Amino acid sequence: MASVTVIGRDGSRCSIDAVGGCPLMEALRDAATGVEGTCGGACSCGTCHVYVQADWLAKLPPKSEDEQMMLEAIGDLVPLKEGSRLSCQIPLSPELDGMVVEIAPPL
Amino acid sequence: MGAINLKMLLESQTLERAPFPVPVGWYFIDHAENLKAGEMRNIVVFGQEWVLFRTEGGKPGVSDPYCPHLGAHMGHGGKVCGEHLRCPFHHWEYDTDGNCKAIPYAKVMPPITKKGPILRTLPTVEKYGMIWSWYHPACEPPAFELPYIPEMEDATGYTGSRRGSWTANTCIQEIAENGVDVAHLKFLHNAPMIPPVEASYNGQQMHLDIGKGYIVGEMYGPGLNVMRFNQVNPATGKPVTSTMISYSVPISHDQTQMNMSFRHVDYPEGTTELAFSKKQIDHMIGAAEGEESAGFESVDFIVWNNKKFRPNPLLCDGDGPVLQFRKWFKQFYVEKPKLDEAV
Repeated sequence: MASVTVIGRDGSRCSIDAVGGCPLMEALRDAATGVEGTCGGACSCGTCHVYVQADWLAKLPPKSEDEQMMLEAIGDLVPLKEGSRLSCQIPLSPELDGMVVEIAPPL
Repeated sequence: MGAINLKMLLESQTLERAPFPVPVGWYFIDHAENLKAGEMRNIVVFGQEWVLFRTEGGKPGVSDPYCPHLGAHMGHGGKVCGEHLRCPFHHWEYDTDGNCKAIPYAKVMPPITKKGPILRTLPTVEKYGMIWSWYHPACEPPAFELPYIPEMEDATGYTGSRRGSWTANTCIQEIAENGVDVAHLKFLHNAPMIPPVEASYNGQQMHLDIGKGYIVGEMYGPGLNVMRFNQVNPATGKPVTSTMISYSVPISHDQTQMNMSFRHVDYPEGTTELAFSKKQIDHMIGAAEGEESAGFESVDFIVWNNKKFRPNPLLCDGDGPVLQFRKWFKQFYVEKPKLDEAV
């Protein structure tokens, strides 16, 4: 179980309790935050883009080549930041309890 | 005497008609003139359906029919758009190598489309006025190139528009084995004698000499066979050579489409050489006038369509080099790759 603080596109904050082991994208999608997760986690749609707050970045698994390519591709359409990650590539774990993420603008 | 060889007697119970997968090789797909720029159609070959198409720029392509997006069959309602095959469902476009080149409504192309082909296509070339594709069950690239055949490629010197196409209800190996089984020529085809045969092997090529220089040729993988018939023209005492190009295609593991083209030297009208060339070709196909032996058209099918494959043939001293042929042919059978379960 992990509790994640989500900053919405309108600046509002809420807390989501999500099941451990599941990708963060699924919790965000199901909580109607604007994350669509259209491709289901294949790094082929870019709709689960979030900005992860700096302190949490080191705790995340490194980006795969596919995630890297997708982030670069959407970089033409939306701002990329240091904390830009595809939330479908972030499996939730107790270590990430308290993590803060911001939903990135839609494509 | 009288002992029962049960293994021998009961082996027939275990036999199969075509116990082999489709072998690797270059295979004839269609005559080039049958596919115009912008055209596409469904074909069945190598045990499945494919979309055969030609781009506006003239490139032939052979692709798996099912769009990698959501599985629509691109051969029904699909279209050739410029250099691409376009799926009817959402207009995703692919080039002849299977790369996804356009998704009209995507803001971002999925990165997987940039890494390589996502649609299976067969390496396809145009040669001899025909379209040829390389089949390999694990999508490996061609292991050799199609050879130069002067009778088919030279601008002048050769002619002949006779062609034949026949369906055999057996696998391509059984048909190819015919080439080394010289004994059957006397008994099934009524040839005057069993000719001597020499077969030699070099990688994917087999060299065949039947009758000490009478029929000499090459097999290039399972899908191409070029045999030259050398005989003395009785009117002049000089040799005349006519050529049979055989390009069989595995429709499935147990059905083969046999195709042949017959070519000869472009002798002037009215010469004995021309008449003799035509007679040579008549003989290759069916019974020629005044000859008793039959070409394959009539008699081979009776055997092929009904026989089973004996993995342990009982061969005698008069038989041709069947076992060496089978050993050479084995190289064209490749394991289907075992893919990990999709995550």
